[in-house]
Amino acid sequence: MVYRRIGIATGVLVALLGAASVAPLAADKPAFTVGWSVYVGWNPYYYMNKSGIMKKWADKYGISIKVQRFDYAPSLDAFVAKNIEACAMTNMEALDMPAAAGIDTTAMIVGDYSNGNDAVLTRNGVKLKDLPGKKLLLVEKTVSQYLFERGMALNGLESQIKQVRLVNTSDSDIAAAFLSDKSHEAVVTWKPLVSQISKQPGVTNIFNSSQIPGEILDLTVIRTDVLNRADGSGQKFAKALAGAWYETMALMSGKGPAADKVLAAIAEGSQDSLESYKEQLSTTHLLYTPQAALQLSTSPELKQKMTLVKQFCFNHALLGENTKSIDDVAIRYPDASVEGKPGRVRLRFETVYMQMASQGKL
Amino acid sequence: MSLLNVNVKPSRTACWTLSWLLFATGIVLYFYTAQKRHKENPDDRVVPTLAQLAAGIYQAAMSPDGDEAPAAQVQGQSAFGRFHTSMLWTDTVASSRRFFYGLALLFPAVLLGLHMGIFPYFGVFFLRFILFFDKIIALSVLPILFIAFGIDELSKVMLIVIGVTPTIILDTFNLTKGVPPEQLVKGFTLGASDFDVAYRVVLKQIWPRVLNSIRLNLKPLMLFLFAGEMIASTDGLAYRIALLRRHMGMNIIIPYVLWVAFLLFLVDLTMRLLNKKLHPWFREA
Repeated sequence: MVYRRIGIATGVLVALLGAASVAPLAADKPAFTVGWSVYVGWNPYYYMNKSGIMKKWADKYGISIKVQRFDYAPSLDAFVAKNIEACAMTNMEALDMPAAAGIDTTAMIVGDYSNGNDAVLTRNGVKLKDLPGKKLLLVEKTVSQYLFERGMALNGLESQIKQVRLVNTSDSDIAAAFLSDKSHEAVVTWKPLVSQISKQPGVTNIFNSSQIPGEILDLTVIRTDVLNRADGSGQKFAKALAGAWYETMALMSGKGPAADKVLAAIAEGSQDSLESYKEQLSTTHLLYTPQAALQLSTSPELKQKMTLVKQFCFNHALLGENTKSIDDVAIRYPDASVEGKPGRVRLRFETVYMQMASQGKL
Repeated sequence: MSLLNVNVKPSRTACWTLSWLLFATGIVLYFYTAQKRHKENPDDRVVPTLAQLAAGIYQAAMSPDGDEAPAAQVQGQSAFGRFHTSMLWTDTVASSRRFFYGLALLFPAVLLGLHMGIFPYFGVFFLRFILFFDKIIALSVLPILFIAFGIDELSKVMLIVIGVTPTIILDTFNLTKGVPPEQLVKGFTLGASDFDVAYRVVLKQIWPRVLNSIRLNLKPLMLFLFAGEMIASTDGLAYRIALLRRHMGMNIIIPYVLWVAFLLFLVDLTMRLLNKKLHPWFREA
């Protein structure tokens, strides 16, 4: 009796497994996933997916593309674990997450740079020079800490950075934590949290990313091994992404009610209002055209700025505890120059897709 | 087939082998995956190899928090001295302090539950509110907690208290109610006062069950502690894990997780042995 039941159960299980393994075979198109998280410069992905722009481009290249929203940290985890093929992230995380973990990564779209989105905010008129000895709320080892250290360095306070007591605070609670606990006088965070905190009377913005333009870049990156797939499907994926991205950018940069409608639909992706989204856009230098993105990607300043970011990552052991030399994680620029050991290129800036977009060849 | 037979006694070797089999499978699968991933990508950090893990453990237990003390300072110290200033040790001390504060605050909760069960006025006053309060998901009203308790040490201990005490209070209340009323009557007939009955008749016999209930709540307690440390902190085991996640420091996170599991196991074992020693007549747990 017992054995018969086990037999039946096993039979059912085998049938289920069989059905599950047959299902993926039905879709014969190469499938790709791009991950994004809520941020001014990445919310367009929500719209691309919802409006069907992404599907249109995927169909054009005969592939299928899934657009998946994540929280930021898990999106990086998924990219590093090779669960997704492309992901939106900053230049700093591209360097210290996938690149430092040995995943050869290609930055194919330079979407924008933070031009005030990230900020150091204080209450009671506290200035940068007053911070040593005080507590500072921030998400440690992120662009927030980078911004803070750059601010100190630019104001000749570099030697005192270590005297500031950093309190690692989760980004989901940082606004509430700073606003409700008056004993903390300083916080570093990003928009839209910065906007919420700034609304409080007595809070001042003492340093922000518009003072270090072009250092905090928001990218769309893709795994290099995907790009190099022998069947060329990775290339198609990159082209479709670039096509969808710049079509959306063109819609966003328009004027009047038509563009507003697009922006409102994008804002909806993060439960935000049109007004709030526009306010965030005002401190984001979006590179709406592929020409603008190309110009930034090929400029000599990009190298200088990436060197600063890389030095920060190295100083804080973000390139890995065992990375003894800063040159062990090398960056390749569009002019084919390599910063670091040529055999250890892990992050590549690739302009070919932006180039094709600018020439209308996608 | 004796697998599905109630009346069998596995041999000693069978016991030993079977009980370690899942551990062995887990370890083998882990290192198989690690080896496979490293063949593909020698710099992989998601599934560290044995060598990487060893380096991670050495770093965690033998060197101070990288960002704070210069490495030269600890060069000359003995192994014990270095462990004493290591990040693993300082984090453990910080988390343990919060853990034991939280644990200590569970004892007033036991008394409250007992009083609610014994003295009807206490019961009427507290029961309805605590039944309601028990269902509040503390983590979803964090901003209110921040206003009330700030974001420093106090808030972390309070998060534990708010998360775990209602369960303990209600459990003690139920255990108290479960004591047969005849015993209370008997106590009074023998001339006991109200407090004698409460503490020497009721508390005395529910105590082992209460200790057991606290023991079973250690994990929720730890979860709330970790949540608190991940929200905002400057030290602690969960703080370190949150930080290391920022750059995939799995070679240190995995030893940390095993260390926490080991510590929890020790606390659990201690409480079990203590309970056995204190109440040799108690045979349930």
